[in-house]
Order: sequence, then C-alpha cells, then structure tokens
Amino acid sequence: MEKTYTERIQIHKTNKLAGLYPSVKLLVVVLYTVCTFVLGTVHFTRVDLSLLLIPWFLVIPILCASSGALGKCVKALKAVALIALIILLVQTFLVPGGEVLVRFGFLRICEKGLKTAVSLSFMIMNIAGIFVWLFQTTENKEIARALEESGMNYKAAYVFTSTLQMIDILSENSKTIMNAQKARGVETEGNMIVRAKAFFPSLVPLILGAVIGSEERVLTLEARGFSIQGEKTHLFNLEKSGAEKTAAAAAVMITILIIAGRIALWVL
Amino acid sequence: MEQKKYSIKEDFSMLALLIIPVGVAVNFVGGQLASILKLPMYLDTIGTIFAAMLCGPWVGAVAGGLTNIVTGIANPVNFAFIPVNVLAGLVTGFLARRKMFSVWWKWIISMLVMAAVSIISSAPIVVLVYGGVTGGGTSIITAAAMAAGANIWAAFFGTEGIFTVLDRIISFVICWLVIKVIPPRTLVKFGCGSNYIKESK
Repeated sequence: MEKTYTERIQIHKTNKLAGLYPSVKLLVVVLYTVCTFVLGTVHFTRVDLSLLLIPWFLVIPILCASSGALGKCVKALKAVALIALIILLVQTFLVPGGEVLVRFGFLRICEKGLKTAVSLSFMIMNIAGIFVWLFQTTENKEIARALEESGMNYKAAYVFTSTLQMIDILSENSKTIMNAQKARGVETEGNMIVRAKAFFPSLVPLILGAVIGSEERVLTLEARGFSIQGEKTHLFNLEKSGAEKTAAAAAVMITILIIAGRIALWVL
Repeated sequence: MEQKKYSIKEDFSMLALLIIPVGVAVNFVGGQLASILKLPMYLDTIGTIFAAMLCGPWVGAVAGGLTNIVTGIANPVNFAFIPVNVLAGLVTGFLARRKMFSVWWKWIISMLVMAAVSIISSAPIVVLVYGGVTGGGTSIITAAAMAAGANIWAAFFGTEGIFTVLDRIISFVICWLVIKVIPPRTLVKFGCGSNYIKESK
C-alpha cells in the first residue's frame, strides 16, 4: 500500500535504547559526564593515575552496540580517538615536572606528564564518546522536535533544522562553484599564495548567492504564515520506546552508586 | 543623522533568522575549502563574522555558537570551543555597530581586535582542556616548541598568533567583498546594513 507523506516522514525504531526519548538520552549524557568527573578524582598507584577512567570508557562501546549503532559510532569516535592519542603522547613525553620515571634516549616520561596525559585523554574520550552516542542514535529532526517540545521557540527550532539543511546545500553549491571557477582558469594548485587566492572566487559567489536566496525565503515563509501567532500543528511527531523510565532510573542509580563509592573512599 | 537604536528583539528579524543558517553553513564550507586547498588556517569563522557585520553582535554570537554545536555533532571536541566563536561574533558585531568597518585604518584596528580576542579566548581552552594540542595543523609547531622547552602558554601564543591574524584578515576581506556587491535595496533590510551604503550626494 502506498504510504502518505505524513506516514513516510515518521521515524520508527525497533531498538528500545536507540528509540529512547531525546530528553531521556540527554539525562543519560549529563549523568555520565558527572560520573566521569567523579571517577577522574580516584587515583591509583604511586604516581596517582586516574586509572578508573579506562574501564569506565568500556561503557560507551557497550551502549553503542546495544543501541545497534556500533559501526556508526566507531566511525565518529575515530576522530576523537586520534586527538586523544595525540594528547596522550604529547603530554606523556613532552611535559616536564615531578620525578623522571623512565628515560630512553631523548624521550623521558615524567610523573606530572603521565598523570595529566592519562586523565586528560581519557576524560576527553569519555565525554566526547557519550555525545557521539547521543548524536549517532538520534536524528537531527528528532532533536529539533524535542527542543520545540521542551518549550523552545519554534523559530529557534526552525533555525536549527534549517542550519543542518543549509550545510548540505552550501557544500553542494561550493563544489559547483569551484568546478566552474576551475573551468574559467582559476588555479587551485600551486604554492600557498596561489591556493589562498583561489579561496576568494570560490567563497564570495557562494555567500552572495546564499544571502540573496535567504531574502527570497523570507518572503516564502511569510506567505505561508510562519510568523503567525497561534497554535502550530506538526507533521512529524516523536515516539516513546517504552523504556524511558527504566533507563532514567538505571542512570540515576548508577550515578548515586558511583558518588556514594567515591565518598566512601574519602571517609575510609 | 540621528543615532540608530538597537534592541535584541529587533535584531532577530526574519531575515536575521535566516542569515544564521547561512552563516553556520559558510563557516562549515569555509573550513572545508581551507582544508581542500591545504591552507594552514582554519578559516571557519567567516560566516560568524559575516552574520555579525550585517545583523549585529547577538545574531553573530548565535551563529558562532550554533556552528560549534552543529560541528560538535560530528566531532564533540568542538563543544569546548563554543565560547571562542560566540565571542568572535559579539566583538565583530559591536565593532560593526560602532562603524569600525568604514575607513581603512579602522579596518586594521578592528582586525587586530578580532584576532586578539579569539587568541586570548581560545588559549585557555586549548591549554587547559587539551593540554596545548588539538591535532590541528599548527599543533605540531606548538608541540615542537613545547619539546624545545618553551612554556606551554608561550608556545601556543607564538604559533597560533600569526595564523589567527592571517585568518582574520582573509575572513574579513571576503566578508567585505560580499557586502560591497550586495545591492543597497537588500542591505537596508539588515540591522547594520545601512552602515555599508554610501550616501549619494
């Protein structure tokens, strides 16, 4: 049977975790970040490494896998992992301070460097990782709708969705303009000054076109009653997966346990 | 000429609302283009500067903040840099209102101010959050300077400073070229647009 337009734009998710209501996901993200900071204060070994952050990071792949989006998340995490790795290496080998632990040739590992290296890189991995999970399991349309539902102005929500569309449109346009300018003889290869000069004829027409285009879009939106006062109806509606309460309760429980554990360590 | 009054509510006109997505997308494409052309700069604040020059500081700030939120979806490292981009928008917007983009010597002052603000605001984030290295093109130079024994702050200011000033000059020239060719009938619809129209005598 042919589906109507409104049926086609709805999002159905079979996975309970991926289909969580966006605000519940945000709660999970916030609590996870809190836990990361709490765990980061627990130090081990002689040089006070925050080793607990490493097993804690395992939560993210597990979360992604059980949401059925492991592939997508790993892809997005690669960029973060690269930065974390660079930070880890630079901090370990280059930052002086404290006593020297290991020394081979010109490289040496100092106490202070190793300490910041481990806590900083895994802190970043953890916090960035949970955001990756949030955005890889939630579609932009859902985020915008959830923002609106939570009391955000519909104009602001429109700006958000429109931004995401605009990026695609302008990226396409910039490729077209680049090709057109190349055909007209603008050089895009050579030394740095030549390449920098190619930057102008590609960007100026792009911005100009976009500005003139948005002037026209204002007229279109106004003609369709965008700024009219009154109740708005929606074609796209959010679904609840049914696991919201369990997920929120689990997240809160884990956070309380971790904080309690941390306080117990202090007291003992 | 009487002094024009500005209000935040009027700043966010329909046209300004639609310039925000354009600004964010231009930021994004500018950064992409800079990496395609292998330029050693980010050039990812052109849209922020453009929105701020036309529609004032608040629209510029929103465009800047939104850029980092949207790019943060793909790469959460960018979340930490939201304040830098917001400040860039605010400063440019206030400069535009003070008509600091009218004469050439005012341009130079404005550009230096813009560059200074973004270096000063990004330095603490890079140093404290990422320990001085973000994995960008200039990071290697910073890391080398740090290895040679330079102070982490000095290493950052030295390398990033030069490139940020260059970055701002290119971004500003592009915005200026675009604004020059926008017809006056369109310019008047923007909050700060009338500042760029030459009065015919």
